[in-house]
Amino acid sequence: MNTPFNAYIGHLSSWMNRWLAPSGARSGAAGLESEFNRLALELFNLQCVHNPVYRDLCRARGVSPGSLDSWRDLPAVPAAAFKELPVTCLAANEVTTTFCSSGTTGQSPSRHFHSPFSLMAYEASFLPWFRRQALENWNNSTESIISDASKPLQWISLIPARAAAPSSSLAYMISTLLERFGGESSSTCGSIGGGGEWEVDARRLIDALDQAMVSDRPVMILGTAFNLVHLFDRLTEAGRRFQLPAGSRVMETGGYKGRSRTLIPAELADGIRSLLGIPFDGILTEYGMSELSSQAYARWPHPAGPGELAFPGWARPLVISPETGVEAAEGETGLLRIVDLANVASVLCLQTEDLVVRRKSGFQLLGRRPAAEARGCSLTSA
Amino acid sequence: MHFPELFLADRPPGAPTTPAFIREACIAIKRNRVHWLAHRKTQELIELIAFAAERWREPGNRYRHRALDLGPTETGFGRTTLEAGLDAFFAGLTVEALTSWVTQDLGEIRRLDEFCAPMGEMRHGRLALARGPELVVHIAAGTLPNPTLLSMVASLLVKSAQLVKCSSRSSLLPRLFAHSLAELEPKVGGCLEVADWPGGSNDLEAAAFAEAECVTVHGSDETVKSVRSRLPGSVRLLAYGHQLSFGVVGAEMLSSYSARKAAEKAAHDVTAWNQLGCLSPHVFYVEDSGAVSPEAFGELLAEALAAGEAKDPRGPLPPESAAQIAGSRSLYEVREARSRVAHEEAVTAPRGVFFPAPDHVTRVWSSPGSTAWTVVYEADPHFRISCLNRFVYVKSCRNLKDALHHADSVRGRVSTVGLAMTEGRSAEAAPHLAAWGVTRICPIGRMQTPPPAWRHDGRPALGDLVRWTDLET
Repeated sequence: MNTPFNAYIGHLSSWMNRWLAPSGARSGAAGLESEFNRLALELFNLQCVHNPVYRDLCRARGVSPGSLDSWRDLPAVPAAAFKELPVTCLAANEVTTTFCSSGTTGQSPSRHFHSPFSLMAYEASFLPWFRRQALENWNNSTESIISDASKPLQWISLIPARAAAPSSSLAYMISTLLERFGGESSSTCGSIGGGGEWEVDARRLIDALDQAMVSDRPVMILGTAFNLVHLFDRLTEAGRRFQLPAGSRVMETGGYKGRSRTLIPAELADGIRSLLGIPFDGILTEYGMSELSSQAYARWPHPAGPGELAFPGWARPLVISPETGVEAAEGETGLLRIVDLANVASVLCLQTEDLVVRRKSGFQLLGRRPAAEARGCSLTSA
Repeated sequence: MHFPELFLADRPPGAPTTPAFIREACIAIKRNRVHWLAHRKTQELIELIAFAAERWREPGNRYRHRALDLGPTETGFGRTTLEAGLDAFFAGLTVEALTSWVTQDLGEIRRLDEFCAPMGEMRHGRLALARGPELVVHIAAGTLPNPTLLSMVASLLVKSAQLVKCSSRSSLLPRLFAHSLAELEPKVGGCLEVADWPGGSNDLEAAAFAEAECVTVHGSDETVKSVRSRLPGSVRLLAYGHQLSFGVVGAEMLSSYSARKAAEKAAHDVTAWNQLGCLSPHVFYVEDSGAVSPEAFGELLAEALAAGEAKDPRGPLPPESAAQIAGSRSLYEVREARSRVAHEEAVTAPRGVFFPAPDHVTRVWSSPGSTAWTVVYEADPHFRISCLNRFVYVKSCRNLKDALHHADSVRGRVSTVGLAMTEGRSAEAAPHLAAWGVTRICPIGRMQTPPPAWRHDGRPALGDLVRWTDLET
């Protein structure tokens, strides 16, 4: 593969490896910080040249390659722009995969174009950070569950397989995780219904859960929040409840999007506990977007919902005051902006529509912004 | 300054409200109406309302003070916005305007007092008496105070007892207005009740509806639907759902002098009540054949909004609302960047199907360092619903017909169309707008200040409240 991004990808992967190294083995934290900045500016310079949408935006802002000193000043592309413009550095004939957001009803989906090298960066980002959050660090942060490390996890995905849902970045990620970490016994219980909707195959699910009980192996369940509601419904219909082995965990992501009834987090935790026997501290929340290549994770400090979300070092969140456009102070509410060094072929600086509270070492999600505020005579805001 | 606890909403926050409370309150004000209000002469009530309104406009008036001191926190409107809105509202409530309202809707000023008729009816040997409902229950919207205040005035004119149900935390202005009436005429005050409880307290509302003869509701389609489904069959409903408005600027007003004036008036309509009312413009369509182009009009409007912000700051917004503005702005900035570059490059670099050149020119002007005001110019003529709080679209059109064609997506939900046109052209435009379904046409600059007698959503407010007894002689 010969792309203008080759050198950058080399620099990025070496930086990632150093950042992931055990802290004792890390060489110079200060160096990592200044190199993050250098990498961000290196990628910015490339995207400013190769991504026409970004180039136009930067030009309008009076920013050009070489004109910035800090990653914090990078112009951000709003996520909504992915719905109407090809925000990409790729030429049409280079695109091999297109991820589309599920989107809310009535809106055009956003499109994130990928080629083999950008998918490689995607994998290089999500694999190690998932491993750290969901596997390696799992027991460090919980006291109540000590899983038996000798027993491998039984993996159950509620999400359709990559081949069945080729335009889903989530299906891509989960299928890759299962291949990489799940082993032979892992099962995919997500499928696509007649109307294109995501479903949970009750038979396969219950078989897999029974299998885990028989072999006394802790379970790793991966799914969206609405998948989990479907799981609750299928288990309730079948009259089944499980007390899954200690160390079992659930990774939930991605909200409801009108595809099932909406539960408040405490209700979600309650269903997970009562139907699967997994306590709230066995839940891991993932925050991801099809427009990004890196994800943030949070454990649940209490049954009321996830705590602070954390990105890997190569993706930095900024919390921007919607009123002033400058960074919010700790404890303040603002819009989440992410600088993701793994978003190689699109744009590294993405402005989301998510309101979050800035915390000491991360951020806390307040929920997707409502389509139309109650105030005012607005019918449905554009 | 301390106000007596006259109304349920005067009690400290958290004081319990039960269905039994509401029922008793309704029965009490209905009883009071029989003794104290039902036999009052309309003329006296008009004088009372006009006097109260006049007092509200006096700088030293204590209700006014209270409204302006507490208003910014309780209503979210800045002091100047609130002051301008309330002054315009109360200035309209004169004896003359109220008299002509009664005459307009009921044909004769004494219709509510005795059997009588205007000349034409009398010639046919007919007289009639109009009676207002014993009890009107108002379900007030949480945003602008005007519609609620005007509903209170209308119900008082038809001599009804009234319970004003405010959404939580928006009872300040209805309460103060009720207090100001009660201070002048305690017996009239005794026929009023103001309460606030959170939306969805169906048991409380059921208690009120059971005592009501008529219910008015201002709010979203869902609110209206919910109220309608819960009303006993015998209760009349006057529903005012959410509506929106827009303006049209005629080519003849686009000389450089007139265009600036028109932009200033347009800015006034956007600034009033922070654009949150049903009468606030979302879009200004600007005819493309004037000396000043629609795009240049956008710039003039931006200048006028900037000047307006200096005099009458919009005030802080909750993060959700600011986020909507920030989100919309950033998307339009991307479109603007694309359209500028495409314009500069013109034909130098064909972009192909994968990367089409933008179809339309987009420009954005916005307040630096805040979300205080935003103007988006789009050559794309399709109507856009604004996220409000002083965020307005300017769009180009060939003529009024073209504008209406592109506003088809909101047809049926449009209240007011503001026109910046010569009188002759406005008169020509009016029948087309009426046929299209618009219920109010006014000059740009006055969109947010209808006279009290205006026909809200195309209906006569007093006419809809009363029931008649005809007497044929």
